[in-house]
Parts: sequence; structure tokens; C-alpha cells
Amino acid sequence: MSSTDTTVTAQARPQEPGKWRITIGSTVLVALVAGGAYFSNADWHKLPDVFTEGWRYFYLMIRGVLQNPFSEPYSEYWLQAINGMLESISMAWIGTMIGAVLSVPLGFLAARNVTPNWVVQIVRVFLNIIRTIPELIFAIILLLPIFGFGANAGALALGIGAVGTLGKLTAEALEGTDPGPVEAARAAGAPGSAILRWSLWSQVLPEVIAFWLYRFEINIRASAILGVIGAGGVGSVLGQAFRYREWDFIGILLFTIVVVTVLVDTVSGAVRHRIIAGGGAHSENKVEREALAV
Amino acid sequence: MSVVDAAQVAARPKRPAPSRFLIVGLLIAAAITVWAAWEIEFSLAELFSHFANGWVVVERFLHPNWSYLDRAGTAWVETVSIAIVASFFGVLVGLIMAYFASTVTNRSSAGYRFTKWFLSVLRSLPDVAYVLIFVALVGVGTLAGTLALFIFNIGIAAKLTSETIDAVDPGPLEAADAAGLGTLSRARWAVQPQILPNFLSYALYVFELNIRASVVIGYAGGGGIGYLIQVQFARFNYENVSALVISMFLVVLIIDQLSQYFRRRVS
Repeated sequence: MSSTDTTVTAQARPQEPGKWRITIGSTVLVALVAGGAYFSNADWHKLPDVFTEGWRYFYLMIRGVLQNPFSEPYSEYWLQAINGMLESISMAWIGTMIGAVLSVPLGFLAARNVTPNWVVQIVRVFLNIIRTIPELIFAIILLLPIFGFGANAGALALGIGAVGTLGKLTAEALEGTDPGPVEAARAAGAPGSAILRWSLWSQVLPEVIAFWLYRFEINIRASAILGVIGAGGVGSVLGQAFRYREWDFIGILLFTIVVVTVLVDTVSGAVRHRIIAGGGAHSENKVEREALAV
Repeated sequence: MSVVDAAQVAARPKRPAPSRFLIVGLLIAAAITVWAAWEIEFSLAELFSHFANGWVVVERFLHPNWSYLDRAGTAWVETVSIAIVASFFGVLVGLIMAYFASTVTNRSSAGYRFTKWFLSVLRSLPDVAYVLIFVALVGVGTLAGTLALFIFNIGIAAKLTSETIDAVDPGPLEAADAAGLGTLSRARWAVQPQILPNFLSYALYVFELNIRASVVIGYAGGGGIGYLIQVQFARFNYENVSALVISMFLVVLIIDQLSQYFRRRVS
């Protein structure tokens, strides 16, 4: 008896589920990647240059950073790098401010629990359109013809770009609020404006400020992008340095960008955590994901 | 009794003083705003004074030259191809880096800290900087764009995935430890099945980002649709740029929808 029992249990091991889905999926994926490698028209034979040339340039960049920063021409390089970075930070900050100011009313208009549905739909479409278009397009289409090249145009482009994400995140934060305070205010006879200000806005304020700070962190990176088309800041300086292949200058610029960006991220991150300490932590991951969409 | 009642009425709590953190924060924010506005010479005056000049250009943008799109086909194939290749290899390397960047899977604390530091340096440079670097190394063209996006994707995929690894259910990990699994098989059998749906969703998200970034990539010399936009813009062919931008908008929309559909399927 006991021998048959063990064979039965041994046979009863469940069958492994079929793998055909994974097989098909990976075949399609490999085909896509192979097709992509072919149709991208990339000069794959130049790939080794990355390693042969790369080390040489990397060495030159490191050497530039390690030179005495007070000797000529390195003092000039450092000065330009820091000035460029300050301009980029200013662009990012003003852009965030513009985005923040414009996104608050749009966020309220795009929240289902605040605004009638048809308004919500229209505003959401508008916000989505802005979110789809990169800042660069705003800069080249709308702003350069009017504001010309410069940091001012860049800041405005960043501001318009920020409205899309900030508006959407604000609306989502509003939809996630506790309805209790709204009911309490309504029961006490509060007018609509008071409900918006004291029941809804108070609940989302910490989260919304955290969004703004996060957007500022992204805008610092985005401002470098705008700089390359001539919107000022460290991006413009970087573009010029690459044009003349001044590798020691490039090294100094990249070093400055990395250090300042990490520094600002750390400070801004600490402030964000302080603001939403306790509650609101659940939204953090969502914000960070949204924010990576530079 | 009534005296007590009156005392209770009078005992309405005093409005709390605003926190010092708030006041200091507001002051700092205001100071930075003033300084930043001065630094970039912020003004909206041009909007009124130069509006007529700008409007001439905007008007040309409002009349897109659709026939130009016939020639944009190859550029679009290039852009999508770049995005596919760069996303595939980027998220693959990103997945490996993610295992090193989480204390759950990396038992060496020095190795963990080094990876975290390396990734934050990687992410602090904007994509355009990578394009410029690779253009200098391999010349203008799609290879530079692909390599730049590849490096950029590693940073994003590793960050998102390592945060998912940090949050895995510890049950399977304990089971793996109890069964005496090594670091590698523990990561493979106790962690990877848990993070796979999220990871696939991140991979699609990275692909979306790469399509969006194509303008920037091409503008800096990385090939694809952005390069075409840059060339047409430099020649003042605003009607062509307008058609390209609208096609860009449509492609991004379609890819977003497709990718969201797949993301719902995998998670």
C-alpha cells in the first residue's frame, strides 16, 4: 500500500504551465530588436571608436577637472561653468514658478470631484496635449520667434511644459482627497470658494508643493536641453565647448552639472520629504515616475 | 453654571502661529524667485512688442505642408528603431544594475553604495549631454543617438526597478534563505518573478520616453526625426517643421496608447 501511495503523490506534481506565450513574445522581441538595429541605419562598425577614442577623451576631461582651478585658462572655464549653471537653475526655477501658478486653476478644473464632467474632459485633453509635446518644440515654435534666443524664452518654454504634468498631478491629488472636510464645510454653510480653499486646497497643499519641487529638479535637466538650441544656460556653453572640442572644458562643465544637480536634488528631496513627512508618502513613487519623463 | 458656559465659549482655541519652517521656506523661495528673474532678465514685454514679428512665423506654422511628410517616413523608421534598440539593451543593463542597487539583492554594502552613487551621477546628466559626447566619439548619426539613449535608459530603468526590488514581499526571500540559495539564484527565483510585471511596464515606459526624446536627440546630432526638424528649422521651412511636429504628436499619442495597453496587460 505504502509504495503505491508514494508513487501517486510523486505523479501528482503539477505540470509546468506551457511556455508558448513566452516563446512567441521573446521571438517577436528579438525580431524587433534585430529589425531596429538594421533599420536605424546606425554605423555599427564605428562602435569600437567608443572604447578606443572614449578613454582618451575621458582622460582629457579628468585632466581638465584636476588642473589647478585658479590658473589660466581653467579659472575662466570654471567661472563660465558656474555662471552657466546658475543661469540654468534660474531658468528652471522661473519655469517651475510659471508652471505652478498656471497649473493650480487648471488642476482644479481637471479634478472630477470639483468640476463638472464636460469641463474636466476638455481640460484633461488640453493638459495631455501639453504633456505630449516636448519643451523643445514650445521653445522653437512659440517662443523663439517672439522672445528671441535667450534664457527668458527658455524659462517660458519650461513653464508651459510644466503646466501639463503639474496640472495632471494636482488634479489627481484633488481626486484623492478625503470627502469629509468638504461635507463638513458644506454642512456649515461655507460658500464654494471657502470649500476650495479650506477643504480641498489644505489637503493637497503639501503634495502639490512636493510636485513643484520635483518639477524644479527635472527642469534643471531640461534647461540644459534647451540651452543646446540657444536658450542660454549651461547647455549653450556645453554646446559651444563640444563644437570646439575643448575636452578639458567639457570635463569641467560636466563635472559642474553633475555636482550641482546632485546637490539640488538632495536639498530639494530633503525639503520634499520634510513637507510630506507622514502622510502623502504613497504618492511619492507616482511623482518620481512622472518626473522622470523629462 | 452659566458662568462656566461663558468660559467655554470664550475658550475658542487660539489660531496657531505659522510654523517657522513655513516662514523661512517662503522667504527663501521669494528670494530665489527675485534673484532668478533678475538673472535671466525675465520679462513678458516682448509678448506685446514683438508679437507681430512672431505672429508671421506662427501663421506659417498654422499652414503645415503635409506633402513633406512623404519624406519623413525613413526618419520615423529610424527614430522608432533607435528607441527599440536603446530601450531593449538599456533596460536589460538597467535590470542588472538594479539588482546591485538594492540592499535586498546586494549583500555587499560597499557595492550597494557605489552602485547607487554611480547611478545618480548617470542620471544627473541630461540626455542631450550624452548625445553630444557620443557625437564627438562616433560622429553625427543614429549610432550616437542610440548610444546616448542606451546610457540614459540604464539610469531610469535601474532606479525604477531597484525601488521595486526594495519593496518585494520578504516571504519568498526568507524561503530562499532557509533553503540555502546563493545570492544569484535567490535573486533569480525569489525576487525576479515578483518584479517582472513591473519591470516590463517600466521597459515600455522607457520606450515611450525615448520616442518623446527623439526631437532632442536629433537636434543635438543623434539622427532620426529630430534631425529632420532641426534641418528644416535652420532653413526656415516652418511649414515643413509644423507638419513634422504634428506627425510627432500623432506618433507619440499612438505609441502611448499601445504601450499603455500592453502595460495593463502585463501588470
